[in-house]
This record gives sequence, structure tokens and C-alpha cells, in this order.
Amino acid sequence: MALTDREYQALEDIVGAENISREPAFLDTYNQCWGHKLVFDQKFSTRPAAVVLPGSTEELQAIAKICNKYRILFKPFSSGFEVVSFALANERGILLDLKRMDRIIEIDVKNMHAVVEPYVNIYRLQREAMKHGVTVGSLGAGPSAGVIAGSCCHFGAGTTMTSTGGLGRNVLGVEWVLPTGDVLTMGTAETGAGWFSADGPGPSLRGVLRGRSGANGGHGIITKASVKLYPWYGPPEVKFSEQPGLPASGKTLGEVPQGYKAFMILLPSTEVMFEALLRIGKAEIASCVMATGPAVLPYGEGNDEQWAEIQKMEAAGMVFEDLAFRSIVVLLGSDTSRGLEYREKYLLEIMRQLEGVSLPLTSQQGAVMFAGLMWHFGFVTMAFRRTGDFFVSPTSDGSPDIMLKMRNAAVELIQPYIDKGLVVNTGKVDLFLIPSENSTAGFHEENVTYYDPWDPDSLQAEREIIQKSEDPNGPFKSFGVPHLGGGLTIETVSHNHQRWGPIYDNYDMWLRQIKDMLDPNSVGDWSAYIPGVFP
Amino acid sequence: MALQDFEHDMQRCTRCSYCKWIPYENQQNMDFIKGCPSAARFNFHAYAASGKWNMSYSFLNGRIDYSDAFQDAVYKCLLCGSCDVSCKVIGDLEPLQHMHELRCKFVEDGEILPEHFVTIEGLKKEDNMLLAKKADRGNWAEGIAVKNLSKEKAKVAFRAGCRYSFDQELWPIVRGGLKLLIDAGVDVGIWGSEEVCCGGRAYSIGFAGELTKYAEHNLEALKAAGVETLVTPCADCYQHYKVHYDKIGKKPDVEILHFTEYLHRLIKEGTIKFTKEVPLTVTYHDPCHLGRLAEPWIHWKGKEVKVMGQTICHEPPKKFRRGANGVYDIPREILTSIPGVKLVEMYRTRESAWCCGAGAGVKEAYPDFANWTATERIKEAKSVNAKALVTACGWCRRNFIDAMEAGAEKMEVYDIIELVQKAI
Repeated sequence: MALTDREYQALEDIVGAENISREPAFLDTYNQCWGHKLVFDQKFSTRPAAVVLPGSTEELQAIAKICNKYRILFKPFSSGFEVVSFALANERGILLDLKRMDRIIEIDVKNMHAVVEPYVNIYRLQREAMKHGVTVGSLGAGPSAGVIAGSCCHFGAGTTMTSTGGLGRNVLGVEWVLPTGDVLTMGTAETGAGWFSADGPGPSLRGVLRGRSGANGGHGIITKASVKLYPWYGPPEVKFSEQPGLPASGKTLGEVPQGYKAFMILLPSTEVMFEALLRIGKAEIASCVMATGPAVLPYGEGNDEQWAEIQKMEAAGMVFEDLAFRSIVVLLGSDTSRGLEYREKYLLEIMRQLEGVSLPLTSQQGAVMFAGLMWHFGFVTMAFRRTGDFFVSPTSDGSPDIMLKMRNAAVELIQPYIDKGLVVNTGKVDLFLIPSENSTAGFHEENVTYYDPWDPDSLQAEREIIQKSEDPNGPFKSFGVPHLGGGLTIETVSHNHQRWGPIYDNYDMWLRQIKDMLDPNSVGDWSAYIPGVFP
Repeated sequence: MALQDFEHDMQRCTRCSYCKWIPYENQQNMDFIKGCPSAARFNFHAYAASGKWNMSYSFLNGRIDYSDAFQDAVYKCLLCGSCDVSCKVIGDLEPLQHMHELRCKFVEDGEILPEHFVTIEGLKKEDNMLLAKKADRGNWAEGIAVKNLSKEKAKVAFRAGCRYSFDQELWPIVRGGLKLLIDAGVDVGIWGSEEVCCGGRAYSIGFAGELTKYAEHNLEALKAAGVETLVTPCADCYQHYKVHYDKIGKKPDVEILHFTEYLHRLIKEGTIKFTKEVPLTVTYHDPCHLGRLAEPWIHWKGKEVKVMGQTICHEPPKKFRRGANGVYDIPREILTSIPGVKLVEMYRTRESAWCCGAGAGVKEAYPDFANWTATERIKEAKSVNAKALVTACGWCRRNFIDAMEAGAEKMEVYDIIELVQKAI
């Protein structure tokens, strides 16, 4: 439903005519995204009634107040690289593109945190922080993903989770425009004491802010956030190789930066691989460690080049399946050579105990691995180039034993689809498996399938996989609520909270109460979160 | 290809927004990481390559029709190809080809900007893109004793292009270039007033027929003059002769070289020797048409096939143009071989260079945007402490001058030819 001229004018008065549009041509660039064919059965989701480009907290407050006055849904987003960014519960909704709010406000090295606005992406912050000897955790969505989106609004998994935790665990305070238009500054920043703690004075609101998987823009707008920083052991600047004729996708650092060492270790079995991840986590020695999974595949300029390389390697006797699912990749880092030596010795001792074999890496292979693990270079390509879409299900977090059980169940579920060629076949279902917070928070596991959304059989196969793995009465119910859904959890379509709430202590009831309290007029779009009352 | 032939790509644009930035692998200074001038200036997603995929898909599905907004987003684009380079880091898509085809569709349906209409009418009448008189085209070479290729044969044809032919302020460059060849003893000729447009800029606006028309004429002219090598200081002409003529099946059977390439040969073989010092710290601006857009055209005909279950490959394998094989090193080698010249690099170089802002009809229709884009580049050049900004394209040179006249911070701007002249 379109906005009336009066409503539109009220919004335009806030941001200026050049920062708002209701042109259909423009609006249809804010409702097309990967995953839409799967979720909405077409490339388009709901067309917004308008798109607004606010430039400040004050403007966002004024917009929220107008939305309350006229009962207009609103949803903010940063890069917009997720289905949850655009989904609106109905057409009387506007999207807030936060592109103009792109400042890194502060990098506080002494207190190890950085304060950013919504359009600052993770790679930009990592590179700026590196200049000061610090860095920030990585994001699985790749270098373009927003720091605030990942830390405050979404799950925020990443390859550095062993040393940094998921980005969602790194929030140290926010400036939050509530759905009512009021501003809440959370944590020590409210007192003017700085952004070093998200808690106090008073009770912590971090759980309310984002819970486990984030409200996905469903209850207000985070206009500033402070995230925790960690040591960066490498040089302040890095430069990728410049070989004439080499496309950007093939560029590497040349070698692993000083201060770090990269390893790829082959273990006797998948079960031992889980044990190795657990022990390395507990040893607190790794900057990054994860199951190798799809990263074992050659990268290639494009799909054709990658396929040619794979055929060549297979002809030479390489079995990707064997290597991918019983090997791990590890990055060790330290600010002293003795520190690095200690970590390496510890790693090798664990490998000796588990009969692991450290595979030789060329400097280029090590450098590619480093950029992948530290900054997620190549992950987005791997996820999308092959078919256009991917999905992660089943996915969960839990103890290593539970995660191993889920992995085995996932292989059993998905293998028939792989064998029939309905999803990409790299031997077994791909795996994203990382010990979280040095294994103290268990493992994070995603089973990844790549399907072609425009191939009806492949699309149907993916839907069957999801239906089975996310059935609250099915074999995966004991692994927890499917809270990620590859960023595709659209409540209006999946009804996940409605279906899973009654099984898990009616948790949905508490979420709905939070939503209701923060958003009494229900103007914060709930399609990727939860409504106060289910329609 | 027609617009609908890109439907596969439209469906598979993930909206990663990589098209807005230079590739992450090429990012050096975080203050200079934007790649698409249009998206950077106008903010709405419609101005990025991804937005163009979205609008085309919506258009093909009957959800939107032609509108001022649609046209604004389509034509406030420099077709500089930055998005194409970045997109291809993560996908097997062709955003630049698509955006060009979208313009052709606009033109086919009569959706033409008034400024472009005037320019194209001028082209049809006077065979140039600058609304100038055809008869004046050869004036730039007045007083230079050189063969007339309309009457005589020569091994090398020197082609000035529309910009250099009619922009008097740039005449010293083109005259200097021609004199360098003559002094080096090259058997060279020009067409003078008989030279006509290459058709490339009209093509970039969406007038596909003009490219074919001028390609046919220009190939005939090359043949008639018995030319072995065509040399041009115009990066636009260079790209269209080398790449787009080939794309439309009219590949010249003579060697096509940018002036810097020919100059490089003369320097390497010792025909041109530097005798004077030019004490200057310079930075080099890669013109899009000499850089990422100048990769040879790759003809491919085949079909999509699925391997490894669902991975989309091609039969026969398809090689994508990814921008890394433009002319990048030669201009730099010339600059660093000039005694006294110190070359400092900007942060966005080679296939990640920021456009000057003059391309694809933007200068004609949206001069403010053209100036803004150039101003951003000048800021970058200043940030590396360069005293002078050097380029190898008349359109870039003109646009930098215009931007400075419109308020951009002042700095010296040179064509490589001018620095070479100073050193001889």
C-alpha cells in the first residue's frame, strides 16, 4: 500500500528530496536478493512503499516518530546482502538504507574497542584497526558485511570465532533508536565514560538487543556500536601481489604475514577432526581454527577454470572428499617469536597425540588460507559463484559431541540429494565447523548446500532438505531451534518461531513480549524477527 | 545480445554490492575504496550495476516501465567498467555488457536524453561528437608537413579522434605526438578533415548502428591508405578500434596501438632518446578505455552445462574479460624512463582505477557529475603528494581541466606526450 502524499512529504522534509524515493524503478532495486526464489518463489520480495537514505541519528528518530504517527512499518539495513534486509511484513513499509552513515568514529587501542556507524563494513574496520596493532573478529558473510549488522542485528558467525567469539558476542554498547523514536544508549557510553562496556549502570540489555540470532532490524535502528578489538600480530599494512594479467580474484598476499603461521592438518577421521578442534580450542593457541571443508577446493578465476583445476587434481589422485572432511586449517599468531614457537609446539603435540599429519603448504597456499581465514576472502565466491545460491541447514551451536551427531545426521539427510546431482557434489555436504571461544562455548556448525534456484529440481531438493532439517517434529528437533536459516529466516514464510516456540519452553512468548514492550505500535518490521501478536 | 539474453545474470545477481567497491584484494587506503562513481555520488542502489540488473529484471517482468528515474540511473553511469572487474571476482556475470545493452534498448525504444539527441544529430551531420564542423577537423595539424592518407599511402596512420581534433586547448598534445613520430622518421599520415568519428561514444550511449557504420567506413579508410599500423593518442578510439570493432565482427586487419604503445617501442629501440631532465613528482591516471576496457574482445559461443551436480560451467569453457590485461605497464615504463620524473602511485590503479568522469555520454548530459567524479580523482592524486596528474587520454585531460575550473583543487595535468616532449 502506497504512502499518502502527506506521509511521503513528512519523510521528505526530514531527509531532503535527494534522499528519498518512491519511484517503482528504484523500489524494485530494494526487493531483489539471493535466496528470494527459495523463500518467496520469485526474485522479488515485497516492494517497499519508499526507500529513505537518512544521514544521522536525529533524522532516524524523526523518521521513527513519523512511522509511529502514521503506522508505517520500517526496516533499516546496511549492505543489504541478506534476505532479511528487505523482507517487509506488508507493502505499507519503508526501507532505511543506512549507506550515508559510514564513519569509523573511534578506534580506542588502549581500551581495545572501536565505535562505528552502520555502513562501516568489517574489512574496512579490520584494515584501519590493523594500523594500530588491533583487529576485529571476522564475519562469514564476507568483507562487505556490516560491523553493526553482524554484531548487533544478526548472528555474526566467522572464522575467528575460536579467538574472538562470534561478532554478536563482541558488542560493547550501542546507540539505539528504538521503534518509538526514543534513543537508548546502552552501557557505559550513556554516562559519558566511554564505550568500553555494554553493561551498567543497571541491568544488561545485550540479550534484549540481539538475543542469539539478532532481531534483523525488527526492533529499531542501531546508529552507533562499539565492538571489542583483539591483538593483530601482523604488519600495519598489507599489500596483495601485483602480477601483470592476474585478475583480482587471483591476487594473494604472497606469503603469510609475519607474526602468523598457517597450517593444514590431516587427521585419521572426521571424529578425530572434531577432537582436534576441541583440543586446539581448549589450548587457547589459535587465532583461527576450523574444519577445512570446501576451502580445500581450488579457487579458480571462474567456474570453468575451477572445474578444469579440479579435474586436473583428481586425475593426479587427489580425493577432495577425503581431504575436506578430516582435515583442519589453523592460523597461529603471536607478537613474539617465542610466543609463536610455543603455540606451534603445542599444536604439533596435539597433532602427535591424535596422529595428525601437517600437510606441506606453499607460501602462496598459506597466504590464500590466511586471507580466507582472517578476512573471509573467497568465501562469498565459493558460496555464490557455482550456482547462484546456497543454504545452511541443519545448523546449530552446541557441544562437540552433539555437533558431531548433527553432522552425521546431516550427511545422512543430504547425501541422497548430492548423489542425484540435485545440489553441488563435492563428495559430501560441505561443512563450516568452528570451535567457539576456545571451545568453551562449544562448536558452531553449518552444513552447507549449493543449489540452483532457477533449476526446478534443484530448488525442490533444497526445499525438501530444509523442510526435513527444520521440522520441529523431525529428527533434528533435539539440535535446537533453526535460528540461522542461512539468513533466510522470514517468519511470515517459515513460521519458525510459531512452530518451534511450543517445543522449546514457549520462548516465542518472551520474544513477543520484548517486541511489544519496545514497539507498542508495531512499526518495526517483524518479518525477520517476531510480531507482538502472531497474525 | 538482446536485453533478455541477460536474464540468467539478472536472476543470479546476489546483491553483494561488490560492484560499488574496488575489489577487496586491491584496497589499500580505506579512504579510497569506492569503485563506482555513480553509486558513490547518488547513493541509491539503482545507480550501481546490481541495481541495473534489478531494474532490467523488473522491466522484463512488466513491473516497471520507462520513467525519468529509470533513465536517470541508466545514464548517470560512466560505463567505466569498475563494477565489471569487482563483480567478476565473485561471479561469472557480465554487468558491463548488460548495462550497455540496456542503453541500446532505451535508444531502440526512443528513450533518449535531449543532450544525447543533439550530440547524435551532430554526429550524423558532421561525423564528430563535439558538435563541431566537419570541415574544421584537420585544423589541429595545420602547418605540419605530413602525408594525407586520403591521397597518399603510409605505413602508420595517426588518428587524432574527435576530442583532440576539435579541442584547441589540447592541440599541443596531438600536434606534439604527431611531430614525435615525424621526427623519429616514421612513415606516418593523417586523414585530416577526412577523419571521422570511431562511433564508439555513440555506441556507449546506446546507438549501436553508429558503431557499425563508422567501423565500416574506418576499415575502408585503413585499407585504402595501405596502413599497417594505426596509432592514436585517444584512448576512446583505441578501445573501440581494438575491442568493439572486433566485438561486432569488424576486427581491423591492421595493428591497433595506443600512442603510448608506439612511443614505448620507439624509446625501447632507441629512436627516441631523452636528453633533458624533467624534475617532477607525478602520478598516473589509468584511463578506463586504455586500461580495464582495453582487454581484447573474447568471442565465445556455446552453452551452459552443469558439472559436479549443479555447478554452472560452459561448453566450451568461457573466458571472461576481467580487466587485468589492459595497457597498464607501458605508460608507467615511459614515465619512469624520463630523467627526473618520479612516479608515485595513487591507491586505485590499473583495473581498479577511479574513472575521470567523462565517459559514456555523462560529460554531455550531466557535466556536474562528470566534474564531481574528476574532483574525486584529483583529491586522490593530491593525497599521494603528486605535483602533477598525468594521463594518456584527451577526454580525461579535458575533464580534469573542467573540474578544476569548476572548483576542484588545482594541480598540474599532463598527457604523457607532453612530458616526453619536455625531455627531448
